[in-house]
Amino acid sequence: MVVDSQLMSFFTAGSLVVIGIFAALFLDNLIKKIIGLAFLADGVNLFIITMGYKPGGIVYIFLPDMVVSNFAQTASYPLPFALVLTNIVIGASTLAVILGLVIILNKRHGSLSASKILRDKGE
Amino acid sequence: MNANALIAVMVILPIASALFLNLLHKKDRTIKILAIITAIVIPIIPLLTPYGSHFFGGYVPLAQNATLAQGLPSLITGTQLFQFHPGIMYVFTSAQQLMVFVLGLITFFAIFTFLNETKRPSGVYAFLMFMGTASVSAILLSDDIFNIFVFFEIAALAQVGIIVASGIKNNYETALKYTLLGNIAGPLLLLGIVILLGVTGNVNVTDMVFTFKQGYVDPNSPVILMSMALIAFGWLYASGLPPFHTIKSAVYSKALPHGAALLQAFSVFTLVAIGIIILRLFSYNPFTNIAIIGISVIAMILGITMAIVQTDYKRILGYLAVGELGYIGIGLGLGTAFGITAGLFQAVNEAIITSFLFIGFGTVLYKTRTSNTRKLGGMMYVNPKVALLVLLAGLAMAGVPPLNAFQSKLMLIQAAIQSGLPELGIIMILLSIVTFMTFMKAFYTIYMRPKPKELEILDNKIPRSTVISMVALLIICVILGLFPQIATNSLQTLAAGLV
Repeated sequence: MVVDSQLMSFFTAGSLVVIGIFAALFLDNLIKKIIGLAFLADGVNLFIITMGYKPGGIVYIFLPDMVVSNFAQTASYPLPFALVLTNIVIGASTLAVILGLVIILNKRHGSLSASKILRDKGE
Repeated sequence: MNANALIAVMVILPIASALFLNLLHKKDRTIKILAIITAIVIPIIPLLTPYGSHFFGGYVPLAQNATLAQGLPSLITGTQLFQFHPGIMYVFTSAQQLMVFVLGLITFFAIFTFLNETKRPSGVYAFLMFMGTASVSAILLSDDIFNIFVFFEIAALAQVGIIVASGIKNNYETALKYTLLGNIAGPLLLLGIVILLGVTGNVNVTDMVFTFKQGYVDPNSPVILMSMALIAFGWLYASGLPPFHTIKSAVYSKALPHGAALLQAFSVFTLVAIGIIILRLFSYNPFTNIAIIGISVIAMILGITMAIVQTDYKRILGYLAVGELGYIGIGLGLGTAFGITAGLFQAVNEAIITSFLFIGFGTVLYKTRTSNTRKLGGMMYVNPKVALLVLLAGLAMAGVPPLNAFQSKLMLIQAAIQSGLPELGIIMILLSIVTFMTFMKAFYTIYMRPKPKELEILDNKIPRSTVISMVALLIICVILGLFPQIATNSLQTLAAGLV
């Protein structure tokens, strides 16, 4: 049986998103929550990459000896890949901020339990 | 320089200034001078900029670039590829001019108050404020939905920074909660955007709308509905509409008053900017407007009723601000040109009034170091002028004539009746009364009842700059209340284009 690699990739991306949301919402340990968020971001990135995949497509770099019409028909669409690169940078920045906050809160509360740390104290 | 390049300067200038301020440490005078100059220039730029579009990198559509279009195959020139926008485009109309100007004005007052209330101003704090302003300006101007996502994330990080920098008790906990939720909302928003990209082949909103209009994509297909739901989730998070109303009001309460004034302006203008995009992309589906109205009514009811039971005046203001967001949402959800104009006018008014209230009530924190209404009282005798200004700000929020929110709320009620939904008008009137009651209760507790014996009032004098900011905001409220056409004329064109 031949499995469509693009379909499988979409399925993996969907699974990562679902697992990520589940972990971020329902797990108590803050580090596990953060891992869940990383899963979610990676799932979205994989989704974008998969969407940009073109069976039999060529890299979207126009070389001098290429024919325009041939290039236009066979080149992959570059936009999804540009979006992924940007999103990786954004994801790294936000993850760094969250981890920084968790380090400080862990020092203050001596715990990584979200239910302990994030309890609303009505302040 | 091309005059339209000024459109980009509205975003680039605060970013450049912010990055420079971030590098300054213990150079108080330089920080003050640079921050105040930037804060003065930010609201001036939109007034000097001509209306039009700015194409980053000069990437205009091929149809507008005769040189580049020469010799291209019919695969491109004979299809819609010829019309599409290949690069990031910013659009600047009279509506964007007004909103970016008001945002700039609030930034100016926030920076002005911050610099005068703080002995040793932090360059990093000013950096965060300017980055937030730049991001929200970009969200208002951009026609590229991915560019909006990028600035959505930067704005969220700037907001987290403003909370962390406040030094208020439990601010880190609130910042973490807000970031965690943001890290769910952000990727889901992006997922919605890339689904649209997959279906339409574009991230430019004008091109996407073109694709729908030409019938290349069915706007009522389940995929588009899924995309709408994901984008709406990001919108709710950024604007603080339910289910994010609690965290949003907590965010306001954990920021310093000038920071909170700016944060609520970010929420208001993000609500408007992404709300407009949702209307442009998804208003083909009648469910969109119903959903916006539904969530707005819930926001109004939850926000205003939850404000009643709070004992921290910053939380009271936070919840009232969320409730007021509902009015804006109703205007957008009505979907008529008049209703959308009213909603946009309400957004401008709310941003001004809530900033006014945060800065005004901030004087209480400045004099007493507490925001707990149970511990406060007798502040009227400490500074009656400031108390009067705060009272007027509260009356403006409740929609008392001749102040500005009266005009926008009246327009909203008229728009609801014209759209055959008088029930919405009744709800808005009732909730305005509850807003008034809630505000008066807080005002009485803080200002009018006898001062509790244990309340210690500090000797520090309220800076004149804070009072000047409040008077200036009051003047704007009165001007917009007496001459609403100043704002509505600017907003009408955008509203008409959305119908």
